[in-house]
Amino acid sequence: MTDLAPLRQAQPVEEGLRFTTLPPKDLRNLSAKFGWSLSDVELEDIRAHFKKVGREPTRGEAETIAQTWSEHCKHKTFNGPIRYSDGKKSRLFKSLFAETIVKATKDLSKPWCLSVFKDNAGIVAFGKSGRWALAVKVETHNHPCAIEPYGGAETGIGGVIRDVLGAGLGAKPVLNTDTFCLAYPDYAGPLPEGSLQPGRTLRGVVAGVRDYGNRMGIPTAGGGLWFDDDYRLNPLVFCGTVGVLPAWAVRKSVKPGDLVVAVGGPTGRDGLHGATFSSAAMAGRSDRAAVQIGHPLNEKRVLDALLVARDRKLYRAVTDCGAGGFSSAVGELAKECGACAGGALVELEKAPLKCSDLEPWEIWLSESQERMVLAVPAKGFAELERLFRAEGTNCTVIGEFTGSGRLVVTHKGVKVADLDMGFLHDGMPKVERRAVWSDGARPKTRPPAAYARGAGAGHADRGRLSGILTRMLAHPNVCSREWVIRQYDHEVQAGTVIKPLQGLRHDGPGDACVIWPVAATSEWNDRSGFAVGHGLNPSYGKLDPYWMAMCCADEALRNLLCVGADVSKASFLDNFCWASPEAPEQLGGLVRAALGCHDAAKGYGVPFISGKDSLYNQSRDEKGRELGIPGTLLITAVAPVPDITQAVTLDFKGPGNSLILVGVTKGETGGSLLGQMEGEGGEVPKPDPKAAGKAFRGVAAAIAKKLVLSSHDLSEGGLGTALAEMAFSGEFGASLELDQALTSPPMLSDETILFSESPSRVLLEVSPKDDLAVMRCLKGVPARRIGSTTANPVIKVSGLDGSIVLESHLVDIKAAWQRTLPELLK
Amino acid sequence: MSLIATGTTYLVEVRLRAEFADAAGLAALAQLQHAGFAAARSVRVSSLYAVCGLLNQSHVQQAAKELLSDGVTQEFKLLSGAPVLDGMNHWRVEVWLKSTMTDAVGESVRRAMAELGLPEPERVRCGTAYRVLGRTTRNVLERAVRRTLVNPVIQTFTVTEAYD
Amino acid sequence: MTPARQPRTSGRPKVLVLRAPGTNCDVETALAFKAVGGEPELVSIADFKSAKVRLMEFAVIAIPGGFSYGDDVAAGKILANQVKLYMREIRNFVRLGRPVIGICNGFQALVKSGLLPFSAAGEQTASFTGNDSGRFEARWVHIRLNTQSMCLWTQGLPEMIELPVAHGEGKLVLKSPRHLEELKKNKSIALQYVSDDGKLLGYPHNPNGSVFNIAGLTNPEGNCLGLMPHPERFTTRHHHPNWTRQTFMKEGVGLEMFRNAVRYCQS
Repeated sequence: MTDLAPLRQAQPVEEGLRFTTLPPKDLRNLSAKFGWSLSDVELEDIRAHFKKVGREPTRGEAETIAQTWSEHCKHKTFNGPIRYSDGKKSRLFKSLFAETIVKATKDLSKPWCLSVFKDNAGIVAFGKSGRWALAVKVETHNHPCAIEPYGGAETGIGGVIRDVLGAGLGAKPVLNTDTFCLAYPDYAGPLPEGSLQPGRTLRGVVAGVRDYGNRMGIPTAGGGLWFDDDYRLNPLVFCGTVGVLPAWAVRKSVKPGDLVVAVGGPTGRDGLHGATFSSAAMAGRSDRAAVQIGHPLNEKRVLDALLVARDRKLYRAVTDCGAGGFSSAVGELAKECGACAGGALVELEKAPLKCSDLEPWEIWLSESQERMVLAVPAKGFAELERLFRAEGTNCTVIGEFTGSGRLVVTHKGVKVADLDMGFLHDGMPKVERRAVWSDGARPKTRPPAAYARGAGAGHADRGRLSGILTRMLAHPNVCSREWVIRQYDHEVQAGTVIKPLQGLRHDGPGDACVIWPVAATSEWNDRSGFAVGHGLNPSYGKLDPYWMAMCCADEALRNLLCVGADVSKASFLDNFCWASPEAPEQLGGLVRAALGCHDAAKGYGVPFISGKDSLYNQSRDEKGRELGIPGTLLITAVAPVPDITQAVTLDFKGPGNSLILVGVTKGETGGSLLGQMEGEGGEVPKPDPKAAGKAFRGVAAAIAKKLVLSSHDLSEGGLGTALAEMAFSGEFGASLELDQALTSPPMLSDETILFSESPSRVLLEVSPKDDLAVMRCLKGVPARRIGSTTANPVIKVSGLDGSIVLESHLVDIKAAWQRTLPELLK
Repeated sequence: MSLIATGTTYLVEVRLRAEFADAAGLAALAQLQHAGFAAARSVRVSSLYAVCGLLNQSHVQQAAKELLSDGVTQEFKLLSGAPVLDGMNHWRVEVWLKSTMTDAVGESVRRAMAELGLPEPERVRCGTAYRVLGRTTRNVLERAVRRTLVNPVIQTFTVTEAYD
Repeated sequence: MTPARQPRTSGRPKVLVLRAPGTNCDVETALAFKAVGGEPELVSIADFKSAKVRLMEFAVIAIPGGFSYGDDVAAGKILANQVKLYMREIRNFVRLGRPVIGICNGFQALVKSGLLPFSAAGEQTASFTGNDSGRFEARWVHIRLNTQSMCLWTQGLPEMIELPVAHGEGKLVLKSPRHLEELKKNKSIALQYVSDDGKLLGYPHNPNGSVFNIAGLTNPEGNCLGLMPHPERFTTRHHHPNWTRQTFMKEGVGLEMFRNAVRYCQS
């Protein structure tokens, strides 16, 4: 392999074209023509580099650099310098990411963080034996889902599964999660040409996750749905995967002489940013995006073969082919060379292809799905090949890792690229962006677009508050997700011990799922599990992204707390989705959110271990106006459940039990569901991590002592919806006295106490004999017994003046809660 | 696998026998009605396989019988030429993945045919046919189909006024 | 039972857990057999093609759930063809009275390869179509066991049990009404979907619309069972959706099914 015949002259970018001497304007045109999206500064840097080298770049080189330096791969905004000002102070971030999220993790320095921010997924320790670790990754696949929801969601979930397969030496996926932010499914307003009706998008993305996840044999058991019409042009699709790997398999390494091996599906012209195809068939913006549909069977084959190969130690490193295809996969692995300079020599003609008419640079950059790249010591290759062939998938040597410090790519003896690894990965010029945040300019109580369509469950309820509660439960952002969840095989692998749907009739809204990954560990007697929870609320972000971040972190942790997970050993993942960061106000919001993430991590003592950002989520609407999404942050939290047999669900377990409300209720109705429905304003909820942490420890202690029968976090719709959900899930009623709730200020209206979304609160059901013991666990924590469960299937709330202010029959409110999605998606 | 095939292409249609309820058809019906084709009365879905290779008719016949169809619930036929036109209110919508799209099912069929001892086809593409009954115009139907059953980004489709 | 019907087992009967590309319940099925004293081995269908493995060396065959070959063409269809082609001895295996179980996709493959309903001719007389709901669905269902059935897998289980189903093409249909009468007569209907009070009701109690609420079929001798629900997903009480409410359950009834087969081989 190293004795190559002398290489023929490399092909220039375009016949007769001299990149290094082109006027700046023509250079810019060239970049636009090929869809490189390189900035002027970047183009000049590339020019300078090749001038120094003394030759013209090839097409393959220019494409590789454009790909490697893209926002998608390098996260320029998050990693680049930002000058931020909030009107009072200004601050220069050299790298927003390093100075907020990464910094918090570094400062916390938690022992369970085994590999953070550098691999394809974050890796944390798992279980009591010290033999296992969890790899966790969440990412978005927004743009493809806007154009082709089914294929986009399929390739999204397929990609994140491969990330976990390519974390360390490969983890066995044991859980998928999906969170969608979409316009209301019955949106009937105008849409620009090419945009799909949101109901169709929802059906499509659910079907995509279903068909891919189910076929992969991975339970999809967590996630969420959020509706806001501002997502109508840019739906968000977050897919997550958690995998289990042995602790010895956390680190990768590559040695010069290792073979570059491609496994999985063949390479085609998929996902190329292809304005370049001369083919006449290319027309319209959608074709260029070249969306693919998934091939889960191929990925399943790779999964099964890879994990056997891992345990036989047949390879030293693995990564998936995502954006940039071979170019980024091989490039990333070549960097793993440790002490040596790294480098690789790839012969593209060896790669298995879908079609024979691919240009060499297209093979190099194709984003065909279901492919991975391994670094394989030569002596084990034959066995590796047998394994993959037995599963019916490809396993092909396409090159060799070297210590040359260069990435050399050839096709039938012709050089496609010969790049300096240092320049490719670290040569990108930094561009400073400007960010502003002006609190005053923001309407304090911006009335969010009220959800009016189909509002009013239309049945006469006693009292105004009863009516509000029913409408809240029927609201698309609260209502039952059963229509979605049942389509996912959420119990495959027989490890979903706390299911997403809980309660007497298996249909209550659980806070989180608990996974007992016995199918990955085969350790039947080890009862270690883990839970995954989510926090997302763009509605708060419209008021202040900083507090949105804090609230999301708080909610994600409370989800875990309520199923019995150990939140003192939790980890976070962040996913930012924003409109264009080139608008300083947008970037200002993003900076606020990142600062919130930092403070939440420090405040709750929970490190971030992985994350992703997706920017430029904006499009022109039917009138040509730019419509950006609301700044959106998804915080995913994962925490161990040391003994899955101690887990807790939300459904009431019996009559006559005490209801204890933990946390203080404030007048925080800003961005709340009540605010959206009633058009009222109010303060955005503001968690106090220190107080919250103390409360969480108290609740955890009570759960650990088996004193808690059921628990549920208070989120959208506050106390009212939480109480209703616990009651109808367990089919026991409740009577509540609002004057018992701890509030600040002391006097709040009944409505506010019931529906405020003050963070850090949970509602516990406790046997009356354990009241005292629970209150002892909650010593120093604001917590009060506010009522009790009843055999009568009615929730009855007495207000501050002692009169009954809310009385709802469980059958009615449950029906309202269950009806919404099936009706919207009929 | 080359995109340019050299052998003969056979078209096989596999459909559920009339006595079995067609859940996929009912779902498609509801969606078409919702998308503006209110007069749609019934939809039956069938699978289409375009098998191309150095095969003869009896090879394809065998594959259709033993692999592509179910002896209990389905019937199949080899299509040749345009479907029979037989009157009012009967429509046929054919949906195919674009040739640039990976066809996972087609790939499985190709391999599975070889396992039956048949010559391995060069390529197999899968499609869907919707047999729609209802009084409408082609424009209304095409618009409803585009809104529900087809995404032109990845698929092509044809609407013919035909039923058999 | 005569000794000739069983391979010699030294306490732990060898269980073949069949794999094909796309199989995905193989590991938990093997774990369940292991937990009750079986010796499971994951064997790829390709190993039969290359004659690397001999079927008759095993005491039990389990065809687990999943999406073999992506369920391309139809659920279990390609796997069924391969079973017919490469595992010809399986009919003999069933005739000898050795335990065979097909779960979900495995059941679909048993039916489509003509092994269930079992007939001398090996003709396929049943099949599956898409769920009436038009969707893949995962939910727990109530099941009534046929106490008249000879089925060795369900011996000693309570008449009413709960198990999860998860499938998109689970509606069992029969070639003709005559076949239903035959199944009834032969006591081959081992499991039926019922409501929590034991009635034969429609959706969602019958999750897919199967004829006569059939959830599982056995051969008249009772050693070969195919079922849509997943017993391997109910092997501890913590698998039950309501384990946090109920404290009386000892372990999952699914485990009992695997134990029955292992005990049968050991006796």
